[in-house]
Amino acid sequence: MAERSKFNQLMRDVKRHRSVYVLLAIPFVYYIIFKYVPIFNGQIAFKDYMALDGVLGSRWLGLEHFKTFVNSYYFVELLRNTLMYSFGKLVFSLPLAIILAISLYESNRPRLSKVVQTLAYLPHFLSWVIMYGILLALLAPGDGILNDIVKLFGGKPIDFLTNTNAFPWIVILSDAWKEMGWSAIIFIAALMGIDPSLFEAALVEGANSWQRVRYITLPSIRPVIVIVVLLRLGTILDAGFNQIFMLYSTPVLSVADIIDTWVYRQGLLEFQFGLATAVGLFKGVIGMFLILGSNRLVKRFGGNSLY
Amino acid sequence: MKKQCIVCIALIALLSLVSLPLFSQGAAEAAKPAGPVTVELWYGAAITEAGPPPADWVGFQIIKDKLNIDLKLTALPSNESDQDVKVQAAAAANNLPDLFMVRRDVLTRLVPQGLIASVDDMYAKMPIRTKTHYDEVSRSHARFNGKTYGLADPGSIIKNEGLLVRKDWLDKLGLAVPTTTDELLEVMRAFTFKDPDGNGKNDTYGYGAFQEINNYEAWPGRRLEPIFGAFGVDGTWNMTTAGAGLNLLKPEFYDAMAYLKQMVDEGIIDPNWLAYKKDDFRAAWKQGRFGIMREQNAAFAAQSNYAPFDKNFPNGQWIVIDAPKGPKGKASIGPYTANFRIYAVSAKAEKEGKKDKIAELLEWMASDEGYYLLGWGVEGVNYTKDANGIPVAANLPDANLAFSAPGGQTVTQLRNMVFYNGDIELYARYPKYVTETSKKQMSALDVMREMQTKEWTAAIGSDTLPIPNADLKRFYEQGLSEFITGKRVLNKDNWNKWLDEFKKLGGQDWNDKGVAFAKENNLLN
Repeated sequence: MAERSKFNQLMRDVKRHRSVYVLLAIPFVYYIIFKYVPIFNGQIAFKDYMALDGVLGSRWLGLEHFKTFVNSYYFVELLRNTLMYSFGKLVFSLPLAIILAISLYESNRPRLSKVVQTLAYLPHFLSWVIMYGILLALLAPGDGILNDIVKLFGGKPIDFLTNTNAFPWIVILSDAWKEMGWSAIIFIAALMGIDPSLFEAALVEGANSWQRVRYITLPSIRPVIVIVVLLRLGTILDAGFNQIFMLYSTPVLSVADIIDTWVYRQGLLEFQFGLATAVGLFKGVIGMFLILGSNRLVKRFGGNSLY
Repeated sequence: MKKQCIVCIALIALLSLVSLPLFSQGAAEAAKPAGPVTVELWYGAAITEAGPPPADWVGFQIIKDKLNIDLKLTALPSNESDQDVKVQAAAAANNLPDLFMVRRDVLTRLVPQGLIASVDDMYAKMPIRTKTHYDEVSRSHARFNGKTYGLADPGSIIKNEGLLVRKDWLDKLGLAVPTTTDELLEVMRAFTFKDPDGNGKNDTYGYGAFQEINNYEAWPGRRLEPIFGAFGVDGTWNMTTAGAGLNLLKPEFYDAMAYLKQMVDEGIIDPNWLAYKKDDFRAAWKQGRFGIMREQNAAFAAQSNYAPFDKNFPNGQWIVIDAPKGPKGKASIGPYTANFRIYAVSAKAEKEGKKDKIAELLEWMASDEGYYLLGWGVEGVNYTKDANGIPVAANLPDANLAFSAPGGQTVTQLRNMVFYNGDIELYARYPKYVTETSKKQMSALDVMREMQTKEWTAAIGSDTLPIPNADLKRFYEQGLSEFITGKRVLNKDNWNKWLDEFKKLGGQDWNDKGVAFAKENNLLN
């Protein structure tokens, strides 16, 4: 009887807040279809997947695909490149986004800061195909604007896009340029939440801009920074397929090939969906452990953890 | 309890009603509706920048009325890799369309999966089409273990590329057409350092290229084949009985690499060549950046393609030249193989009994009605015929609906499924015209005919030889490019070490399998 009355109570609550439940249904359906159902298909990572036999009917292979990946000739290089780009982007893009957000917040010319903000997040909406065209115009060794300047000063043109030393910097910096403004939005939102009386008190105490940033702004947005870093760690093995795929060429494969581009060539183009799934699973598990581990560390040292 | 029983009985009754058709196959066959059969076709668009045939395209109604087929069209992406991904993703979900264009590499992966229907029985059902489209070479192109698993239609015309040089630059600098690799070097140097366009700037280069690679034209690819041809190592494979195997393993390949390295080191090849994509390369020659290139006939000489160059350089003139001779007297524009565009029927379509309808559809496409409708559109609307019966874009009520104009191009998107490179097509596709600015008379067909007279390397079937796995392919391409860019020093010692590593990684096995395959299939000449 008690259970029935609880159920009835729940139904009454659902009915009363039906608009909220309807809203909840959209992400719920999304997660069911695109996140949970695919977990079932993830078993092909352990199978010799044959489309006609289907997911259930295909033969079990055990850890064969994982072994293929780990034993692949370029495994170490792929992992190194992937981590290099992921951490590189984290180390460069995140501080730049924070600096941009603080600069915009601190600016006392609202119209100028709006223009800067708009210009900063516009590149986010450009595809990497367009970005490649822009980078070619800027960096091409023959007639790129940058090389024109180098030549003007008597220097030798640099093959930025096909040089193994320059290429990683191009990837990291172009990503920072493209995404800096967009990433700054979350920090700007966090800055908006700081109690203005803190700044007023600091002004009364005679704090200069740098001191305000150091002692008020940065500590106030630290929880957001921690959460953003934690979330980024979860996708640490996603180094940006679209960007690398557009920018890379054979001369720079040694520093450009990442796990995702390898999966594209080896898994999708060669019809090895089991292998591609195994690598996806591998990335997901690493990401999960990184999130769990770093979250625990942050918790232990008294920071604001994700959960 | 009683209520639960009633609910159970009701559920069982409902389930029986729903599942009844599954157990009554015979009756279902007999009661098959006479409505049109749906055929889903994934096609390779003839003009990638134009849209698909509109929903009210007259072809849909004709096909429905005459063949009782409801044709559903989907254009495949223009990029080959994207095409492969789309087809393979559908295959992985066992959801291939009834009829679809597919590259041979992908087909070799789908056939063992049991996803493709054999088409051997279809030829007899399509007598007109078979006569014009499928000869023995085409049938063997998609044959695996004795069965043919794809209809290999004629693809682009063979030997339709050529080595071109800026004649106006040669004349200005008082140079003759280069005939040897040494003379070619001299011309490239002059084009780079002697200001051939006379603008007072050091902004031109000898040779222009970009990386365009396929199974039978490995790195550095098609655009540099005339250089490698001069050393007798153009193309991935040597297809002669005496020297069968990977060209990479021949000593002459090192010589060709040394020549290319010299071009790079001296700065006489456009330094952007490694970064260029196809469109960048094509924009570059139209802007007068380099004076020697290998280019396709229509990409060079078709009216819309030549127009920007004509506008920028009214006095500019490209000529098709012979492939330069190398140190041992060898010369070639590059390797050629028979080109095919494969259309496969899915096993699912066969199981659903659609194969005969697909054969009917393809046969209709090869009839006069289908051929002209798919090739040029509706007579009087999209084309008219000239005195020789050749479709032309003249005397039309709305010029924008002409088969060659943006408004009319959409109705000719399936033309690759009916064209077989017959004379009518060639004359219609490549009409003679007078250029807008310089008033030169041009014809992409004449250019192609001239290109075909040059020296080429027969490599028929080399595109069907085994392909390396992704890691070996990467090792191959990356290694060669690193020698050229200077990341690896190009000398005999390093070269041999790298070759040993290549062989160990699977290169020797790839070579041996390729040779065995070529011998088994009588591909060597």
